[in-house]
Amino acid sequence: MGNFFNAAEVPVVKANRLQSSSLNNRMVNDYWTEVFNAKAEGKLVCWYEGVAINPLMQAADIRWVHGEAWSALLAARNNEGPAQEAAEGRGYMKELCSYARTHIGCGVLAQNRGVEASGSSFSDALGAGLLGERVPAPDMFISAYPYCSTGQQWDEMLYRLFGKKIPIFNISVPWVWGNKKDAGYLTGAEFKEATAYMVRQLKECIKWIEQQTGKKYDYDKLSEIMAYTKKAGELRMEAIDMCAVKPAPASFFDWTTSLAPVNFVPGGPQIVSYFETVKAEIAERVRVGEGAIPNEKYRLFWDGIMNWNKIGWLANKFAGYNATMVAGRYTHMGFWHEHECIDVNDPLEGMAINYLVCPINLSAPLMIEEIIKLCKKFEIDGMVLHAARTCRAFSNPQYLIADAVQKRLGIPVAMIEGDMVDESFYKDELVNARLEAMMEAIEGKKRMIIPNAA
Amino acid sequence: MKPYVMGIDFGSTTSKTVILDMDGGTVASAVSHKGSVSDEGAKASIAEALAIAGITQKQVIRAISTGYGRRMLEVSDKSYTEITCHARGAIAMVPEARMVIDIGGQDSKVIAIDALGLVSQFAMNDRCAAGTGKFLEALARAVGVPLEDMGPMALRAVEDITISSMCATFAETEVVALLAEGKSKTEVLGAVHAAIAARLVGLVSRVGKREPLVMTGGVAQNPAAVHHLEKALGLKLIIPQRPQIAGALGAALIALDEAREHAADAADEDDKVDASLDAARCGTPTCTAPQARVTEQVIHGPRPH
Repeated sequence: MGNFFNAAEVPVVKANRLQSSSLNNRMVNDYWTEVFNAKAEGKLVCWYEGVAINPLMQAADIRWVHGEAWSALLAARNNEGPAQEAAEGRGYMKELCSYARTHIGCGVLAQNRGVEASGSSFSDALGAGLLGERVPAPDMFISAYPYCSTGQQWDEMLYRLFGKKIPIFNISVPWVWGNKKDAGYLTGAEFKEATAYMVRQLKECIKWIEQQTGKKYDYDKLSEIMAYTKKAGELRMEAIDMCAVKPAPASFFDWTTSLAPVNFVPGGPQIVSYFETVKAEIAERVRVGEGAIPNEKYRLFWDGIMNWNKIGWLANKFAGYNATMVAGRYTHMGFWHEHECIDVNDPLEGMAINYLVCPINLSAPLMIEEIIKLCKKFEIDGMVLHAARTCRAFSNPQYLIADAVQKRLGIPVAMIEGDMVDESFYKDELVNARLEAMMEAIEGKKRMIIPNAA
Repeated sequence: MKPYVMGIDFGSTTSKTVILDMDGGTVASAVSHKGSVSDEGAKASIAEALAIAGITQKQVIRAISTGYGRRMLEVSDKSYTEITCHARGAIAMVPEARMVIDIGGQDSKVIAIDALGLVSQFAMNDRCAAGTGKFLEALARAVGVPLEDMGPMALRAVEDITISSMCATFAETEVVALLAEGKSKTEVLGAVHAAIAARLVGLVSRVGKREPLVMTGGVAQNPAAVHHLEKALGLKLIIPQRPQIAGALGAALIALDEAREHAADAADEDDKVDASLDAARCGTPTCTAPQARVTEQVIHGPRPH
């Protein structure tokens, strides 16, 4: 029998990640450097969460800290621990959204440095030390969180943490209902009303921004930023569409690393040029038949939010299963994906629409239809549903999604548990068993011969 | 020297081995209880099965492993998950089955089987070990009753007590509290089994209840677990004769398929099925495999309705 025990081997193959993603890292680093330097350069800083309202701030020359982006950055650099512990020490329990917990922890760390809780005096809180301490304290908050109840209170918590001294503006993002004739995806009277309501609030928010800066709002600048954003969104979606070929030239994991330019990086020529480069690399891969993994045998869909601690790890893990994670709800159903709705001369309505149809703000019937369209388009063999332990907003509809794709597309699904930025919720062996069982079910179907079918 | 195939279910608490002859007949099966993913346990069950079969390891031409330790066994040629193996074993034991419940040492699974005998959907316990074999073991310890006695004892319970915790460790705390309140061991054990059933009902709903429903795994030998599950699901469960070896049997049947496939590949390029490869004896009585050509992989299973 030879040696009885073998080392436990989970096949790991290096995924063929897009080379152009490294340009994204540079843009992200530049952006954070600008954020870190904000106070020294006399810029106001706005903290916000959720949808990409940053063009509103950029047009007013305000620097912005996107809570989730900041938390994801800390996690990707294995530096989330101190902020999470600081938040837990303040009573924010482990089951609370790990993005919020990490971001709130940064607020706590800033305060621990002994500075006053008011605007610019926080410049002292910057400097060397833990990455979590380097984020500049806010001069204002804008809360515009769709669907997620934690998101809607997160800014409120921060507002209170900073002694209720920093101004806050709340935008209420209505839920996009389905199941009624007047409530469709981008269509129907109800959707139009919701859009108009959002536009009214965005206009109010702009007036409020004028009060904070003491300057007239530059709508021309907003149009200019949105022209770049629209173009970046368009190029990204065109590149995504090119991945319908087999083998898929880029994966969900590549698209997650390419989210920053359509999420929080400043709108400008650099984001357009980034997606031109990405698209060109994908076109070349399509031309030579190069895939996102060395040997594509299966094509999968990722439902749920990303696990930022494990992007590279998961990309290689699925490569080991010869499975390309071709598409996902998170990457393909948000982040200026409805770029066609944006009129650059009058961008607020198009912005409102994109905020409304973000991947967690659709009712299950509408969401399921969009997911099924993607599964068909990308010829998906199976679905992985990543239930993030501390993001119920993303996982609430997952049983319904799983049920619908199984019944309507006849594809197997695997539900796995993890988290956005709290590694402790991810259990690799439990994940392996579920993923492998799904692969075996896909393989069984692929190899099946229906008797007398000929 | 006559060839055989082997299936090993290297589980978290027990290790099971099944040996089949090339006609798909079971020549030996063995179960070893040696604690968690134990080298010794796997060795013991393999040695015992070989001894019962009266053969040597060399005669085993293909071995497939499953269970939590599936990738650790060098004796196996390949491994498959418990989902695939339990489904395959259950179908071999009860060909008409459309759903399988398996309560293993550290996970419970509900598997839907399609008309071709293939896994169509599955769900497993999330987050914690509540509703698994380990849960029962821990609570047997807390009550102070041997594992094998807890089922028959629990069947005598008459009171309607609820153990609400989703966590195996906290459920243990609840059990201790109930005993401290003066509840009898019998009544507490009744509640423990009802809690297991409640967890499983949720998994069944996720996949969608189908019948006939077969229960496999060691816990299927526990009459109270079966009783509470039947009550909660409102149906009669089919319990095969040796539910515990379903995973190992499934693994052995897959080994048999693969051994035949290799034999066929080696034999000739002819696209006729050799009589000796008659898959009708693969262990699934209504298997349609003989109608398939040897050049293509066959997933054995009952004829579609």
